[in-house]
Amino acid sequence: MLDKLTAIQQKISSSLDSIKILAELANFRVQTLGRKGELTRLLKAVGSLPPEERKELGKKVNEIRDQILSEIENKKAALEASALAESLITETIDVTLPGKTSPAGSLHPVTQFMWRLEELFISLGFDIVEGSLIETVYHNFDALNTPHNHPSRDEGDTFYIDETHVLRTHTSPMQVRTMERQKPPIRVIVPGMVSRRDEIDATHTPVFHQMEGLVIDRGITFADLRGMLDTIVRYVFGQEAKVRLRPSHFPFTEPSAEVDISCYACVTSKPGKLLPPKDDCSVCKGSGWVELWGCGMVHPEVLRKSGIDPSEYSGYAFGLGVTRMTSALYGIPTLKPYFENDVQFLKQF
Amino acid sequence: MNIPLSWLKEAANITAATDELIEKLTNTGNAVEGVEKLGEEITNVIVGKIASLERHPDADKLWVTQTDIGSETLQIVTGADNLKVGDYIPVAINGATLVGGLKIKPSKMRGLDSNGMLCSVEELGYTKADYPEAPENGIYVFPTAQPLGADARPIMQLLEEVADFDILANRPDTNSVMGMAREAAAAYGNRFTSPAISLKETGRGQASDHVTVEIQDTARCPRYIARVVENVKIAPSPQWLRRRLSTAGVRPINNIVDITNYVMLEYGQPLHAFDISTVAKKDGKHGIVVRTAAEGETFTTLDGNQRKLTTSTLLIADHEKPVGIAGVMGGENSMIRDNTAMILFESANFDSSNIRQTSRALGLRTDASARYEKGQDPQQALASVNRAMELVELLACGDVIPGMVDVYPAPRKTREITFNPQEITAYLGAPDITPQMMQQFLTALDIETTIDNPTTGRATIPTYRADMAGAADLAEEIGRMYGLNNIPTNYSHTLNTATPLIHIDGRPSDAGKSPCRRREDGFKRKLTAMGYNEALTYPFESPKVADKLLIPQDSCLRSKTIILKNPLGEDFSTMRTTPLGGLMESISRNQSKNNANVQLFELANIYMKGDETVAQELPRLTMVTYGKETDFFTVKGSVESLVATITNKQPTLTQAGAPPYLHPGRSAKIAMKTSPNPRDPAETILGYMGEIHPQVAKNYGLSTRTYVAILDVAALHEIADAYSFKFTLPPIYPALERDLALKVKAEVTAAQLEAAIREKGGQILSEVKLFDVYQGEQVGAGFKSMAYSLSFRTPERTLTVEDVEKPMAAILQNLKTKHDAEVRS
Repeated sequence: MLDKLTAIQQKISSSLDSIKILAELANFRVQTLGRKGELTRLLKAVGSLPPEERKELGKKVNEIRDQILSEIENKKAALEASALAESLITETIDVTLPGKTSPAGSLHPVTQFMWRLEELFISLGFDIVEGSLIETVYHNFDALNTPHNHPSRDEGDTFYIDETHVLRTHTSPMQVRTMERQKPPIRVIVPGMVSRRDEIDATHTPVFHQMEGLVIDRGITFADLRGMLDTIVRYVFGQEAKVRLRPSHFPFTEPSAEVDISCYACVTSKPGKLLPPKDDCSVCKGSGWVELWGCGMVHPEVLRKSGIDPSEYSGYAFGLGVTRMTSALYGIPTLKPYFENDVQFLKQF
Repeated sequence: MNIPLSWLKEAANITAATDELIEKLTNTGNAVEGVEKLGEEITNVIVGKIASLERHPDADKLWVTQTDIGSETLQIVTGADNLKVGDYIPVAINGATLVGGLKIKPSKMRGLDSNGMLCSVEELGYTKADYPEAPENGIYVFPTAQPLGADARPIMQLLEEVADFDILANRPDTNSVMGMAREAAAAYGNRFTSPAISLKETGRGQASDHVTVEIQDTARCPRYIARVVENVKIAPSPQWLRRRLSTAGVRPINNIVDITNYVMLEYGQPLHAFDISTVAKKDGKHGIVVRTAAEGETFTTLDGNQRKLTTSTLLIADHEKPVGIAGVMGGENSMIRDNTAMILFESANFDSSNIRQTSRALGLRTDASARYEKGQDPQQALASVNRAMELVELLACGDVIPGMVDVYPAPRKTREITFNPQEITAYLGAPDITPQMMQQFLTALDIETTIDNPTTGRATIPTYRADMAGAADLAEEIGRMYGLNNIPTNYSHTLNTATPLIHIDGRPSDAGKSPCRRREDGFKRKLTAMGYNEALTYPFESPKVADKLLIPQDSCLRSKTIILKNPLGEDFSTMRTTPLGGLMESISRNQSKNNANVQLFELANIYMKGDETVAQELPRLTMVTYGKETDFFTVKGSVESLVATITNKQPTLTQAGAPPYLHPGRSAKIAMKTSPNPRDPAETILGYMGEIHPQVAKNYGLSTRTYVAILDVAALHEIADAYSFKFTLPPIYPALERDLALKVKAEVTAAQLEAAIREKGGQILSEVKLFDVYQGEQVGAGFKSMAYSLSFRTPERTLTVEDVEKPMAAILQNLKTKHDAEVRS
């Protein structure tokens, strides 16, 4: 009996060696240890032996059973490991095949730049107001202190709907509308589309984007305006960028100034550095300055017309040429692609 | 305005280098577009003398000269016939550069050496008008002997720097040499003084013996001065004067015309010269009448054009006929001719808006009208006419008759502005500016200023400074003279936070943005994440767009169109009433470039006449797309994803009432229940979507099917507000899934089936998802298979198979009854 047992054990061990796949191993396990397996039959036969033999042999059979079981488990682990190793090789893929992307959309460069500016102003406590493209002559000109014979009112310069309505030529009418609606302190920016009667060419389109800023409070001074301009310029063009003001004239500000920025194409073209202007610079023509914005202290007459007492309050306003700045920052040489909506252009942003 | 800088420097008494002067002027508000350096490109042109002159042995039309240039004598061959021995002429020696970059090199002309070139005025960049003494087609000959070998450019006054000034709209007083000289002097801290004028007045009698002036409309003509010159000798002006005119961009004509132009440049005052013999006499005197024209009156201006006038035209007339259109152009009948013997000089002031109106109406803009339009100071009419008389005497072109006729019923007076110097210092934020500095700055600008005490100052504003009205104007003058860039930079206000603004929608801003704007930014972000590129189109378009989009003739999209009065041509003449025109053009452009898979969106307004307002601006969010994988349902998915950013409820699409530009079988109205309240039946239309109508596609030359969705942004806001977001805890227990494949008639819609499923699903049915649609052999013609996945869930416990048996049976029964649906196994 014991011999038989040893023979079975040897037979099982040797046939276990020849098993190469997991499925065979599972079958083998049933065949050997299952209800109808040889070992089980032997175990059943043990029951018919005398008690003293039964105990010893039973113990032996169970030992062998445990041994076989652990051999099978070991075999299983080995087979699983080799199967995994094999599948890791067979499952190898070509990582250079194209990815499964969702198409990349984009915001128009003008919107992107507008949003960038909005973030600055929101962080400085400004509110965003927008207004309409179709504006009254009152808000676009009269309330902004524009004389009746001012050239900007010409039909050659401004689109008219009728005697009293125009397409707004600047975002400044929202200065008036905001002041009409709310008492100081006021800090708003007005991003938006404006329209002037310019034929389309490399540097002109009949609509473009501006951002107006208006700050009204007690004791606002020209020095505050300088501080704000400096903040904006350094945010947009880098910490080194400089501002130069040239006295100018806008009917709705007094004093008024044109804002020149140190040339982004040469002077501040390298972050962290201030370079001398380049003689052949196509942007500043060697002057080192680019005229980008207009600004000034809000004209007392404009305050008065909007219901704000100029003896109590003062303020400043500035108009940022968003389209021009967008072109400047991305180096887009003409305005032509802005309205064409060629995805080959749009997708780049 | 172009001002020769030698003239400006002389007038302002400044000797500074040009760069410095320009910078000073720029920093005080007189911007310079550019400085042109005339004559700079001409080099090595020197004075020579014809030592001998012989015919070329081999050419009839050439002369061989020996030209003495001091250091040597050059053999130069020329074709000109106007020379003689002893003439002083400009010689371009070998290596010289002439106008247009022409280089002079030694050459052979018909076999003879020619070492240089004798120059005509044309070769030096000028015409006979600049140098009337120059011959036709010949070499320029200096009128007097000149040092041989000397640089010819200063002798011919070829060298000049001309600055192009940007004149500010509120400063017409700077639109002249004297006006700009005043600014230049002030920029150097000096007060400009007008040059004194002295006259000999050698004519007989008094001006008033010859002329009378009557102004019938003093509102339109506040002042009229007439002076008279007799024994007039019309001749070319001297070279210095012609040079000043031509470098300033005015063509020299003759001494009288040149004087009027010169004074206009110098003082800014337009003058006009009439041949007085053409002005009819009344009571023995030439009578000038300033009157308005009769309606339909015609008049021939000196450019030979007959003009039709209206009652708004102001005329300079005599008692019989007009002789000029006031402030715009003189008449052909009264113009100066070569035999003119006696001249009336007019120095007048006209109302700027009237001149502007007349100039527009006649389509005639002259140097004079341009200046009157911007506003002239009537005070300066006097000095200007006297300066003209001084030039008449200087140029010896006639005898000035003493006195003048000056009708000026309401002389313009200086104004006084009182101001508080402390307030100005505070307003500018520049504490270093003292009252004494203010006085200095203002006085230099010819604004007489007294400081009574630190809080009171008085400034007397000259008559020509019509732009100045109050203390803010003084602050501007003080600021620009101090230097705006010298004002300190204060950051303390930069970081203040104001009270949030109350927006038009009645709500306070949410960290700077209105709730609507915040949501719209969200739409844009979502769309770009879905692969859409943001487009930008013009708000105006051609009226033909309505035809191309098949908009019916009686549609409000036509009748409510806003039309621009003065468009840039027809293509930009109407405000768009649909957001499609520009985007269809963009799609067409992308297709023509073979750009595959294009997705565009734009959030922009359409414009319609309102019932009671001139215009309504209605925001629309428009998506347009085409591509290999793109169909109706791609765009529908985009719309659903977009709506999902504002509520978890989905819009309903119905296949009816879509706009004419969409394919009738492949378009839908997009709507949602106005509120989530189940008892409220109201519906909000969010917009329309579908495939572009094949005819529209053809009209835009599209080669692929294109899909569009147009959403009403106001409606999206309405829904977002109504379906305000409420938090619910995520379910704890797992869902139980059941799949269901149905065979139904092809015309049964997905919406109908889903409704039938939901109706009987009970509380525990949480999700119904269609995952397959099949039409084909296996289900037979006229039928389709729709496969659904149903999720059941309850917050109380994990559901068992038994829990869903009843609802599933009810659902199947309902599907069978309502839609004759059979379960496919």
